[in-house]
Amino acid sequence: MLIASYYFYINIKPVYALLLAGVTITTYLFTNLIAKATSDRGKRLLLIAAIVLILLPLFFFKYFNFVNEGIFGLLNYAGLHLSLPHISLLLPVGISFYTFMALGYIIDVYNEEIEAEKNFGIVALFLSFFPVVMSGPIERASNMFHQFKGKLRFSYEMVVSGLQLMLWGYFMKLALADRISIYIDAVFKNTDQHVGSSLLLATLMQPIRVYGDLGGYSLIAIGCAKVMGVNVIPNFNRPFFATTMSEFWRRWHISLIKWLTDYVYTPLSFGFRKYGVWGIVIALNLTFIISGAWHGAALNFLVWGGIQGVALSFEMLTRKRKDAFEDRFRLKKRWWYIMLGCVFTYLLFAFSLSFGGDAATVAEVLQIFKRIVTDSFHLPYKDGDTMLYGFIAFSILFIKDFMEEYYPGRILLFNHKNNTVRWLAYYCVIFLIFYLGVFSGEQFVYFQF
Amino acid sequence: MEKEEIVNRLTPVFRKVFSDNSLVITDELSALDVENWDSLSHMLLISEVENEFSIKFKLKDLNKMANVGDMVAIISSKF
Repeated sequence: MLIASYYFYINIKPVYALLLAGVTITTYLFTNLIAKATSDRGKRLLLIAAIVLILLPLFFFKYFNFVNEGIFGLLNYAGLHLSLPHISLLLPVGISFYTFMALGYIIDVYNEEIEAEKNFGIVALFLSFFPVVMSGPIERASNMFHQFKGKLRFSYEMVVSGLQLMLWGYFMKLALADRISIYIDAVFKNTDQHVGSSLLLATLMQPIRVYGDLGGYSLIAIGCAKVMGVNVIPNFNRPFFATTMSEFWRRWHISLIKWLTDYVYTPLSFGFRKYGVWGIVIALNLTFIISGAWHGAALNFLVWGGIQGVALSFEMLTRKRKDAFEDRFRLKKRWWYIMLGCVFTYLLFAFSLSFGGDAATVAEVLQIFKRIVTDSFHLPYKDGDTMLYGFIAFSILFIKDFMEEYYPGRILLFNHKNNTVRWLAYYCVIFLIFYLGVFSGEQFVYFQF
Repeated sequence: MEKEEIVNRLTPVFRKVFSDNSLVITDELSALDVENWDSLSHMLLISEVENEFSIKFKLKDLNKMANVGDMVAIISSKF
């Protein structure tokens, strides 16, 4: 599997495999050194050195041009003429993901939650495991090592269940995400030519596109690993049925949020604990601002992170009062109240996501919001086929998620006991992928991280 | 410090943080059993416990606290 993983990675860009190997060797050396160190101070120094070394390539590739152009631009403005050559860098595929996995493993060793692995091959496979190396889910050593060490046996059930996940993943990516991308891109690449209602529609479609794209990719990755007998942690859990932002972030990009919680939020909130509630609010906001900065080196990503941080802090501070209010009027199980929560959460996330893209600056996003509100009403731009196909694909996914959320086990198609029903369902989804899907070689959004 | 004394001093701290005057502390009690025990109240609890016993936890200790029993053992190890 290690050879297959490296073969896969080298096929994308051979030079960058050296970087992956470098991160792997550093991780292996430092985890074993930390485990052997006898003094607390020694362990701590090794931890800091390892974190800096592992983060260096990510910082270099992600922020070099930002620092070069941004900071030196400012200095230039102030009369200091410094410059470094602009380097046209393609971010090495998956660098964020294996960097995060390596850091998590090193910190776990430091915290004595896992023993340092002596077998270099296991560490190398963990960091290069081909289903997850490009876009996650961001795995943990504690979940993967024991699986890699054990004998991988062929299991019919796991192969079937893996293939089913992959099939849904392809549906979400090809039939839904790539289809509605056509509409979103058409609108956002020419905002001047479109009316407010089109801008609103495209804004509302954005979360569905990312869910289809990253959620679909995750299912393909998880399914592919499962076919080989390896269980990978889930990444999405029907996010659009979250009734609050805090619940939403327990259902959306789960592996990243869990990683941020364990390795950024918890240490920060622990560090700020003497400031009580406000220490935790600061930790929460910093965590999301860091997450924003990771998504992109620009102000709009920081605004995106800030909105999430403020929304979550607000929910955290008002939770007790909200609970009491809901209990008093027995609202928690009322369908309309749940629906209201889902819609509000969705809208908040959709509008915040406008700041979470590469395409628009903060001023441009605010301009879009202004036009959504002030443009006189015209019917939105119509792209008949795209809208119809996108709507069919979304409806199918929505019904599937809805049934699994509220009526689990009620309708079984992929797991129906009748062979014919199962195969009919498979063929149906395959047909829908070919009929509704887009096959023009669209990339996955998160490959650029 | 004896386990019993630790539990006796922990009880009012837990009752205050979780706003529940009838909360009874057992070794097995964990975040799953107490309604208001989320990441916010957890950190407030940690801070209050540190003040009560005049000790300082390490981040490493925090990760090892799966339930009250673990917390009591860690507090005990600080004396």
